[in-house]
Amino acid sequence: MRGENAVLGAAGLAAFLAAGEAVPRLGLVKEEYFPPTSRIADALVTEAGDGTFWAALGSTLTGWALGLALAAGAGIVAGVLLSVVPYLREATASTVEFLRPIPSVALIPLAVLLYGTELRSVLLLVVYAAFWQVLIQVLYGVQDVDPVAEETARSYGLGGWARVRYVLWPTALPYVMTGVRLAAAVALILAVTAELVIGAPGLGARIAVAQTSQAVPEMYALIVVTGLLGLLINVGARSVERRALAWHQSVRGEVAV
Amino acid sequence: MRRLFVGLTAVSVLVVATACGSSGSGGPDGTGSSGGLTTVKVGLIPIVDVAPLYLGRQKGFFEKHGLKLSLSNAQGGAAIVPGVTAGQFQFGFSNTTSLMIAQSHNVPVRAVANGIASTGEQGKDFGAITVKGDSPVRSPKELEGKKVAINTLKNINETAVRASVRKAGGDPDQVDFVELAFDQMPAALDGGRIDAAMAVEPALATIKNQGGREIASAMVDIAPKLTVALYFTSTRYAQQNPDVVKRFQEATAESLAYADSHPDEVRAVVTSYTKIPPEVLAKVTLPKWPAEPNRSSIEALARLGEADGLFKQAPDLDALLP
Repeated sequence: MRGENAVLGAAGLAAFLAAGEAVPRLGLVKEEYFPPTSRIADALVTEAGDGTFWAALGSTLTGWALGLALAAGAGIVAGVLLSVVPYLREATASTVEFLRPIPSVALIPLAVLLYGTELRSVLLLVVYAAFWQVLIQVLYGVQDVDPVAEETARSYGLGGWARVRYVLWPTALPYVMTGVRLAAAVALILAVTAELVIGAPGLGARIAVAQTSQAVPEMYALIVVTGLLGLLINVGARSVERRALAWHQSVRGEVAV
Repeated sequence: MRRLFVGLTAVSVLVVATACGSSGSGGPDGTGSSGGLTTVKVGLIPIVDVAPLYLGRQKGFFEKHGLKLSLSNAQGGAAIVPGVTAGQFQFGFSNTTSLMIAQSHNVPVRAVANGIASTGEQGKDFGAITVKGDSPVRSPKELEGKKVAINTLKNINETAVRASVRKAGGDPDQVDFVELAFDQMPAALDGGRIDAAMAVEPALATIKNQGGREIASAMVDIAPKLTVALYFTSTRYAQQNPDVVKRFQEATAESLAYADSHPDEVRAVVTSYTKIPPEVLAKVTLPKWPAEPNRSSIEALARLGEADGLFKQAPDLDALLP
């Protein structure tokens, strides 16, 4: 089953790449604006040999990782606090529902005013977008706590901290992991967007430079890199999730099937 | 799992702490000194126009005047003007009309040095109104009722196209202006989505490579040797650091003069901060880099801009220009 999937996946990718090569070669679209796969691959190799490319990749990953860590940390702490402290959830619900739908990209002018084209303006956008993903999942996760387990813990005389640690946290963890996985993808999108629009150093800014320079194959090559990055981040987040939740029935069930 | 929880908490606390700490660091206006040199941050757009600063830095002109240049690429002037007025950049690069618009909206900006000028030669400028090779349009007058792409509406390129249409005896109000980034103009023109495009290098070279035709050097139609762009600072920074501004002016003037007389070195340095392909770069028409802005051309640009309704109030050139 596994092997068959891998073969099918590879075949799909190969067909996609072949189509990317054939469509411009057959003249269906202009080669100048949609270079064939081989030319993009060529540009990718040239990029990989350039030190400034790796610096840009490093900047993007720094913005992503710092932003995600901040958002996950703040989201988890805020989520648990909101759920545990009485009345806090009700008091903040309307504010959260107001702030959450604000698209992070709408904050670009604010980021530019506050921090210019530095890493901090990227962080502002990344943290804002990723934070809600984690917070909302934590809130749902805490709601999911089994009342019987909670009551049992109380009757066994577990204190507040112990109940958070042994009842609330194990219940919420699968949700937290989902939140962090979603946030990881959102954080990458926002990091690249911020660089592209604001010009903060990173892959996004490099794409913008390639675009204004009429360097079309290089631009596609860099876009491919961001795609690969997204893929790696998703695979990484899933494997972290599997490890952290190895005890949980959702993961154990997956292995059994 | 306890370890994971403790770890996550520790990481978040640490990160929050560093983020709070870092926002307090750095001087209030972002300037710093190192080894007797004053570091100034300059907000630039990654285009050929700003090559003199890269070249001047390489040649040590700024170091000679006690300045260390930190050049940052911003995506367009929209990020540079707020960056300069908020103090993230000490200097920035902007086109002349944008600065006049900013000033007419009471944004505290002040030009300090020349940026670029048009070559002043019809048919040999770095920007032009272009049409597809097989287009029937021969003169800007025929753009009436046609779809003409410019990079920003109500800015210098609109003034330029309107000037060309007017000069050719047409009515600029009949032109259908659409906003399109320079880099997208070649494809849009080729695909027939627009009838004409006011393109600048390197998009202009790409358009000509695919058989496009220039019908007018619109910048030249505004004024001969038009000062198209300038380096600027905030009025506050200019008042507080007159000495730094003076040194920046001197070093920039020197760099501009050097760039203007060494086109080969310009083309070489451009590859260090753009990705313009070598075959395109070889065909790119370079702008002129006179050391001083051309006051009479800026007055002409201001008059045309006023006539086209670009400004809230008439720009005060005495306050704006160096």
